[in-house]
Amino acid sequence: MKTILVVDDEEDIRESVKLILESRGYNVEMAENGDDCLKKILSAKPDLILLDIMMPGLPVDEVVKQITDINIAFMSVVRISEARKRGLCTQDNIVDFIQKPFDVGDLIGRVELILGE
Amino acid sequence: MVWDDEGFSLKKLLFSKINRKLTFLFAIVGLVAPALALFFFYNISVSILSDSLPAEQSVMLETTAAIIITLLLAIDAGVIGFFVSRSISKPIKELYMVTKEVQKGNFNVRTNIKTGDEIEELSVAFNNTTTALAKLDTERKEIDNAKSEFLSITSHELRSPMTPMKAQLQMLEGGYFGKLTKKQKDSLKIVVRNADRLDKIIVDFLEVSRIEAARLKFAFKETNIKDLVEETVEFMNGFAKEKNVTLDLKIDKLPIIELDPDRTSQVLRNLINNAIKFSKNKSKIEIRAKHVDDHILFSVRDYGCGMNSEDQIRIFEPFYQVEDHSVRKHGGTGLGLTICRGIVESQKGKIWVESKPESGSTFYFIVPLKPVEEIEPIKVLFSPRNKIERKLKEEFKSILGPLGMGEFNELKGKNALWKEDLFKYVTSLTRQHILNEEQGKFFKNRIGIVFGNEKDVINDKNVTPTSIFEVVK
Repeated sequence: MKTILVVDDEEDIRESVKLILESRGYNVEMAENGDDCLKKILSAKPDLILLDIMMPGLPVDEVVKQITDINIAFMSVVRISEARKRGLCTQDNIVDFIQKPFDVGDLIGRVELILGE
Repeated sequence: MVWDDEGFSLKKLLFSKINRKLTFLFAIVGLVAPALALFFFYNISVSILSDSLPAEQSVMLETTAAIIITLLLAIDAGVIGFFVSRSISKPIKELYMVTKEVQKGNFNVRTNIKTGDEIEELSVAFNNTTTALAKLDTERKEIDNAKSEFLSITSHELRSPMTPMKAQLQMLEGGYFGKLTKKQKDSLKIVVRNADRLDKIIVDFLEVSRIEAARLKFAFKETNIKDLVEETVEFMNGFAKEKNVTLDLKIDKLPIIELDPDRTSQVLRNLINNAIKFSKNKSKIEIRAKHVDDHILFSVRDYGCGMNSEDQIRIFEPFYQVEDHSVRKHGGTGLGLTICRGIVESQKGKIWVESKPESGSTFYFIVPLKPVEEIEPIKVLFSPRNKIERKLKEEFKSILGPLGMGEFNELKGKNALWKEDLFKYVTSLTRQHILNEEQGKFFKNRIGIVFGNEKDVINDKNVTPTSIFEVVK
């Protein structure tokens, strides 16, 4: 069973994503900020991280710099062009950008594609 | 404020420095000049008349003396005039020049008049006023920035709750939590539809905030416009078919230029979408694109209900919807055309509409062949109406002279500052022979430019935007 780490400062979003992905048979772990995310990676060993761009605490670019061997998909209300402007989409392990508010089917489709199912 | 005019007062006259100055100058002209004249006349007549000359010669000499005296007086007056101009007209001229600058919106100019009289006092008062204006102007800009920022922040904040809300709604609808009854499904459908609508409004707000902060992103790349328009029309065809409306597309051979295909398509989709909304069943929408000088002119024409002149002016205002009994069924966020205007004007293009009630509307927009280097902020949340009135006022002043202001105010009072009313008004002026035919034509042309200054650009190059549809007309 593949594990997905959902990182978002909003509990409702974390819970919603967890519900959706668990219904497709994934194991879902949650983190509420960057520091939390880095800690959870060690214990949960996720196959994919869904990472919000705007969170309090450790800046996202600092977070992604420390993750080199796990695929990351950004989730954000800002547009991909804005994220690119902030220099966020340069790493090879950043594989997707999910625009919020997302479509449930679209989210599932993207996750399945990334995890190769 | 009421100006307190107490009438004549000797005390005021005596203590007024400028009055003393003027009195002094007049005293010179009034007392010194005749004294000089008498002095010259006495000297000349004594020197000439002492010799007993023949009568004719003495008459001639007297005339010469009179001419010399007149000349000397003229020089005196000239010298006095020079000082008058130094002390009074020069500072007034300076004040005038500075006022002109302020009129242009430059509030950083100051006068430096040291005449020691009321003109200096006036200059000091003027400087204080300008300082106050400069302060107001800075405050206005700050408030304006705060508004844009507020809009941007609130839109983002509003959008965040949409994510879990939509996700949960979609899961409910998709049966993730069990099968739903028909009533539950119907109820959910309404909630979903309105959540989508709310989200669309927020997205549009965000777009407006981007336009106002010049943060609208453009990705300029070499684009085949013909393909782009064809793809857009193909995409919109589905919506058109629902209303039995045909999309009629004709495109000239167009150069391949650098533009943002997504943004251009966004504007076109919006205009076509509007055209479909306002079209009658089984009617036609004509989409054209052609190369005109240094820009590409796009147009979308429908044969729907059309608009009156007020609607034409206000149609690009945010949340403005054409007052019509069918308004409700048209729906939308009311920001579509405002965003179109923002997108087009951000890249130094123009957008405008021509329409007649009951015979349909044509929306035009132009995109320059060369992309802009820098995107500038555009105020889309402010009504262009004030700008139009200000421009009209200037035209009235320059064409009708001092009479213009009164006429303008009277028309404004009657709420008759719309294009059609103004054209009628100019026609009546020519009928009454207040203006000749030529002037009337010129006036109408100027009014036309004010109402769609976009046309200014095109008309200057002898291409009327309507020429695309001459076959139809």
